[in-house]
Order: sequence, then structure tokens, then C-alpha cells
Amino acid sequence: MKHAWLGCLFLGSLLFAGPQDSDSNVNARYTVETVIVSGKGWTTNLRSQTTDKISIGLRQKLTAIIGQKLNPAALDTLAGNLKKELSAREVTHRIVRGETPEQVRVEFEVRPARASLGMNVNQFLYDSQQGWSGSGEADVTVQQHTFALGLLSNGDWLPERDSGITARYEDKHLGTDRLSFRFDADSFHTQWNQTTVAAMAAHPGEAPGLYRARQQFQPTATVVLAKPLTLTVGARVERFEDEGPAAGTEGANAVITTLRYHSSVEGLGYQQDLDADCSLRTATKVLNSDYVYSMRSAGVRYQFRSGKHTVTDNAWAGFISGRAPLSDRFVLGNSYYLRGWNKNEIDPLGGNRAIHNSVEYHYGPFQAFYDMGAIWDESQPIVARHSVGLGVRESVFSLAVAIPMRSGHVEPIFMMGILP
Amino acid sequence: MAEPFRGLQISRRRWLLAGLATPLFPARAADSLIVTFDGDNLHVSSLGLHFLQGKSLNRLKEGSTVEYVAAIALFRDQFATQFKRSEAHFLVSYDVWGTGDVFEVSTPGPPSRRAMNLSQSATETWCLESVRIAASGIGPDRQFWLQLDLRAVPPKLSSVLGDSGINVNVIEVFTPGADERQTFKAGPLRLADLVRTPPRGRAG
Repeated sequence: MKHAWLGCLFLGSLLFAGPQDSDSNVNARYTVETVIVSGKGWTTNLRSQTTDKISIGLRQKLTAIIGQKLNPAALDTLAGNLKKELSAREVTHRIVRGETPEQVRVEFEVRPARASLGMNVNQFLYDSQQGWSGSGEADVTVQQHTFALGLLSNGDWLPERDSGITARYEDKHLGTDRLSFRFDADSFHTQWNQTTVAAMAAHPGEAPGLYRARQQFQPTATVVLAKPLTLTVGARVERFEDEGPAAGTEGANAVITTLRYHSSVEGLGYQQDLDADCSLRTATKVLNSDYVYSMRSAGVRYQFRSGKHTVTDNAWAGFISGRAPLSDRFVLGNSYYLRGWNKNEIDPLGGNRAIHNSVEYHYGPFQAFYDMGAIWDESQPIVARHSVGLGVRESVFSLAVAIPMRSGHVEPIFMMGILP
Repeated sequence: MAEPFRGLQISRRRWLLAGLATPLFPARAADSLIVTFDGDNLHVSSLGLHFLQGKSLNRLKEGSTVEYVAAIALFRDQFATQFKRSEAHFLVSYDVWGTGDVFEVSTPGPPSRRAMNLSQSATETWCLESVRIAASGIGPDRQFWLQLDLRAVPPKLSSVLGDSGINVNVIEVFTPGADERQTFKAGPLRLADLVRTPPRGRAG
């Protein structure tokens, strides 16, 4: 609980530490007429033009300052966002006179990076049931090539706790902007919760065996079929070192395919985003796999934003046929799905059928959510579970309390940290 | 035969050398500090002192707020043993819709002070007039040396918060923008010798 209070204080300080720059800059009294972003060989006036070089989310943040009083401190943040998104060496901003008196034009200039070296904390989460999970990496980017090496300890996402190293190579421009390539190589040591070990002993035929380590290699290529529609194809080769005195090695070699769609509609004072994806992972004897299974999943996420109000619905379902390794089985009861429930209590071995829906409402940094889901194996009855929660989220910092809706003793689950 | 006396004649080569060397010592001779004493505090001024210049002036004209730090230090000996130090911060901005070059300056406080519609030289004067150091504990006949450091704080590093977590660009961290710093020195000084001005309040 000590960590929880420290987290509250930290998040509170982030939320209420306001920028001072707007008070001290004489130009804060002027209204922003337009925002212009320019790079090597391109310029976009965001009041009248659109560009696919900047994501819709960031474009919305940039256009949101048009018509508002100038906030110089916010320009630093937006320049930082542009720099990050465009992998630029530097993004500078300047304020110049607008066409109308008392109005100013904000100009961002993007200077492309030749090379960059970064340190990233992707996740740092405390869950009162699962403990700490975190991952970080160092990356080197030279033109469109990125090499990354990271460390991870995650007890949140899968039935197990994985600790180990991750490595990644990415080429975002494989001859054309429409084609990218990525290769992931990970090596993890695995720890099991006592409830998982006990469930495995009680139901030995329900899921494949435990393992003490696993390595995975995943080359994938992503092609933009039509602008909002992308297709990712590739392979996943996994090696599992079995637990026990007669430890052997098993493999799960699969072909993976994912189709993704994203669309966004901007109206007067609102924005709607729709993301959809469906995935198929097939491991067969043909690929020399010890595990033979097929995993299908599909998800739809819809978000409506207007001013400080954001409503999100996230629906997802998955189905596994055959015998999949524990790391590929579905999990509910973590910091993403069915928050408030303990994964080790409802599905210590994971499940091969799952369905989930989450509705979230945000007002500024404050959030409320309602999760509903079920996880089961084909031989088991379907049990729907529900949870509700409240929290605060600012940028990537999140603080939430989730309560499972059930009779009897109810223990809230507290989550805080950095969540992408 | 005796070599003819050349008086103050300077050869063309020496003129050329002097011309080349001049940019290496920018306006230092004109920047001699004037130190005054109001009975409580020491104040500094200089007719030739300009710190709104260079990259920081460009940043101002691009609409950014630039923070300047003025630090006065007193030394027992010739700038080796410091015994007193005082620092003042100024936030300067440039009015893009102003008539001519118009600046605004404020101190972070508390108490915060602010001045608007100032010319470039008036802004520099306003800042310098706000810089002072208490002279308490210095005997009227004791010798001391005074050093004034003026620097512009480089722009902040870009935000480390992104949609995918916390991201730090290592190259940016280890190659921050260089401070624009100017140092001015005066001494040896004695309180008894300084020009007395009317009291302007106490400083720490």
C-alpha cells in the first residue's frame, strides 16, 4: 500500500504541476490563427490542409490550439510529440504575426534525423495482485532502420511471469513506404504462480505442461493494402524448455497473419476512431511443430472524443482449436482485460475461448470503466464476469481501482504506473 | 647611424594583426562594470553590457520565453576565494505584434515583478537594476573583488512522455544546447570608495 500512496503523490504532482511559460510570455495574449508544420520538401497549413505525415491524434492536438489563446509551454510539448512521431532530429517552433492583428501563426519546422539513440520505458506497472511488471529498451535508429535491445519482467499479460531480454530490428521502408519488415527475438525465464502449479497438477490433461524458459523468434512483414488497411504476415518460432527432471525441449512453429483497419472521422468539435483487427496463427506438423493448434482472434475498438469527454468501447473475442502452449492461451483478469479480477483465480491455466468487452468514459484525466468477459475451455460452462473501476490517467501515467462485481468477499484491485 | 625614431607609427602588419584579433575580445574593454553601494546592497551597471544577443535573441524573436540568470559573486582575493553569492532569474519574451523591438520581462518571484513595452536596452537595464548583493559584513576599508555572470538558460529538452511510454533521446541528453554566458569582473574594490546611491531595499 506504501507504493500506492507514493504513486498517488507522484501522479498528483504530474497532474497539478502546470506550465509557467504562458504567464511569462507577452504573446500569450494573442490568438493562434493557424499552425503550419514543415519538413524537408513539405509544408502543411493545418487550418486548411490535411497531411498523412502526421497521425490523426497528433493532428487533432495541433489543430486544437487554433482559435485559442497562445500557450507557449504547450508548443514545447507539441514539438516533442512531433519529434517523437516523425523520428526527427529536432523540431523547432516559432511564433510570427498572423494576417489579422492580434493573431499569430505557429510554425513548426521538422529537421529529419540521421541517427538517434533512445532509452524507453514501455511499461512500469504495479498491480496489487500480480506485483510489479516492467519493460524497457534502448534503441538505435539510423534512417529507417531501428535496432532495439530490452529487458522485461511481466507477470501481468500471460498465465506466467516472464523475465528476460528482448531484441528487435525494424525496417520501416522496405523499398517502398507501403512495406515494412520487423524481426523480434526474445528469451525469457518463466516463473509460475502456485495456483497455476496446483491447477496443472489437478487437471493434467487440460493444458500442455509447464516450462522453465522459452525463446521466440518472429519475422514479419507488413504491407499497406489500401491506406487504412494493412496486412501482416510472418512466422513465429518458439522453443520451450520443459520443467522437471527429464527436461526436454518442445517447439511451437506457426504462421501468423493479421489484418488491421483504422479509420478516423473528424467533425466540428468531435472525433471518431475505429480500429479493427483479426488474426490467425496456425502451428502444424508441416512446420515441424510439437504443438498443433490454430488461434483466431478478432477485435473492434471504437472511440468518440468531444472536448474533454471520451467514450471508448473495446470488444474482443478469441478461439483456439488444438493444443496451444500456455503462453498462447487467453488470459482475463489483468490490467487490460476484466480489470478487478485476479487471473490466477479465474483462469490459472488460461483458456482457449475468451470474449471481452470494455466500456470506458474519460472526462479529462478522470476515467470510469465497466469490463465484462468470459474465459473458458470447450468442455467448460461459460461464466460471464463483470467489474467496474475508477481512476486517473494522464498521458501514459495511470492510477485505477477496479472492483469485481460478485457476491461475497470483494477485494478491490489497485493498479498504477506507466501503461502505453 | 642611429635608426630613425618612428614615434607612434604602427606598421600595416600590426594593424592587420590587431584587426584580426579584435573579434576574439568582444567589447570587453567597453564592458567595465560600474559598482555602486546604496548603504545595504551593491548594485552593478555598465553602459556597454548587452546580453540580449546571439542565439537567445533569435529564440526571443521566434516567440519563445528565454530565462536569463544573473549571478553576482564577491571574492576575498583576486577571484579565487568566494565569500558571498546572489542569483536573480529573469523571464524575457518578445512581442511579435509590438511596434519595433518590444520586450516584456518578469521575475519568477515571489514577489513577482513585471515590466512591459521595453526596448532591448531598457530590458537589459531593468534586469541589471534588479541584480544586487547584500554588503553586510564587509568592512568599509576591506578589499574585495566582484564578478557578474550572465547566462541564457538553454531550451528545455523535449518531453519524455509519449504514447508508448517514457522515451529519452540519449544523444539529446548528452548534447544539450550550450549556455550563452558572459562574465564581467571588477576589483579590487572598497565600500568606502564606491559611489553612494539612495537605498533601494535589502537583499539576501
